[in-house]
Amino acid sequence: MSVETPLIRTTITERFGEAIDDLGFAHGVHAFAAPPDMIVELCRFLKEHPALRFNFLSDICGVDHYPEMPRYETVYHLYSLPNKLRVRIKCRLADPPRVPSVTGIWRTANWHEREAWDMYGIRFEGHPDLRRIYMWEGFEGFPQRKDFPLRGYKDKLNPFGAEGTPPTQPDLATKNIP
Amino acid sequence: MGGVNNAIRDSVLFTTAESVINWSRKSALWPETFGIACCAIEMISAGCARYDLDRFGVVFRPSPRQSDVMIIAGTVTRKFAPVVRRLYDQMPEPRWVIAMGTCAISGGVYNTYAVVQGAETFVPVDVHVPGCPPRPEALMHGFLLLQEKIKKSRALAGTPLGRVAAS
Amino acid sequence: MEFLPVLFMVAGVVLVTGATLFVSSLLRPSNPYPEKNMPYECGMDPAGDAAGGRFRVQFFVLAILLVVFDVETMFLFPWAVVLKDIGLVGYVEMFVFIVLLLVGFAYAWLKGALEWEA
Repeated sequence: MSVETPLIRTTITERFGEAIDDLGFAHGVHAFAAPPDMIVELCRFLKEHPALRFNFLSDICGVDHYPEMPRYETVYHLYSLPNKLRVRIKCRLADPPRVPSVTGIWRTANWHEREAWDMYGIRFEGHPDLRRIYMWEGFEGFPQRKDFPLRGYKDKLNPFGAEGTPPTQPDLATKNIP
Repeated sequence: MGGVNNAIRDSVLFTTAESVINWSRKSALWPETFGIACCAIEMISAGCARYDLDRFGVVFRPSPRQSDVMIIAGTVTRKFAPVVRRLYDQMPEPRWVIAMGTCAISGGVYNTYAVVQGAETFVPVDVHVPGCPPRPEALMHGFLLLQEKIKKSRALAGTPLGRVAAS
Repeated sequence: MEFLPVLFMVAGVVLVTGATLFVSSLLRPSNPYPEKNMPYECGMDPAGDAAGGRFRVQFFVLAILLVVFDVETMFLFPWAVVLKDIGLVGYVEMFVFIVLLLVGFAYAWLKGALEWEA
């Protein structure tokens, strides 16, 4: 949790103006909404601004708001180690979801984005190595989407699964893991 | 033909040999330390001082090549199932499997896309120890049941001497 | 004739081990199959250089050098026992032998056979 301070809001509005919405101070963390094409610029600004210095990327989550449109969302949680500030950046994405990758800014985003790809199918452009991280090689489908059944689809090893076939993704690139 | 077979196999030589071999196998059951999830903690505490497993001859071995029994302690996910199967394959015979905890018996509370619904789908299981997690005394009871099972089994089942006796 | 007890001991050892192994081969189950015979690598397929058959050749070179110099050492033992009987000539002869092997050792050293990396 960070102390409620207008510092983050004023620095962001003075640089980006109306493009970044302020979502208020929910659950002890300031939240902002950004469009996907401005994410990289906003994150680099937040990391390098001398008064903010958000040099620690805590988490990148994917969210699926199934009946609502735009359906997907990525949420970035940033923490500033020198200044002890937290901020949350939300980014609504259309279907199919594409967003530029922030691995160039924080190296840890590599695995967080792989998790969002594996679970939701959110494609991060510019990611050096986008492949599955939790599910096994050859798994089809994105499990955390709202339309994926909890029990999985019925196959040879899963007799309690739902009927039907999982949605196949032709660009499901799983490289040979040595 | 069946009557003649049993007469040889049930003779005093073979039954005595089998009872000695079975006694030696059940008194020194060496498990492979294979804790996957929370049941591993109960397995560890069963092996420690208070609920001592060492008094049954149970010494945990680090490698499947040196172990008799594999205790599958924890949730087996579908990504990990081939590894468990390979470790089972690398155990020398005679080998047994204890499925510890409800996740290893039937998938437990996790009826999901990623969890194997029971270790029995890919390895043959001898003793099921239910519980979430089972208490260390329950695991000890499982070992005692396995010892009973070994006592009643045919020790020379796959051996050349057994084939001679059965032919 | 004074070595007859040694023969008996060797025969006894061979007999006992042979009998033990034979009896246990009758009493043990034998069920080899490919997955059981694979090298143990924590349940995964073997990975890395050694798994593909690419061993480091330095192991082989050191083993060959060991065999040669170990045999030389083995020759030194009976020589030391009978040194008093063969006198100065025998002493010098052994040193000729050692010098011949030293030439080979110097060659191996200077050619880099004793280097571990590459």
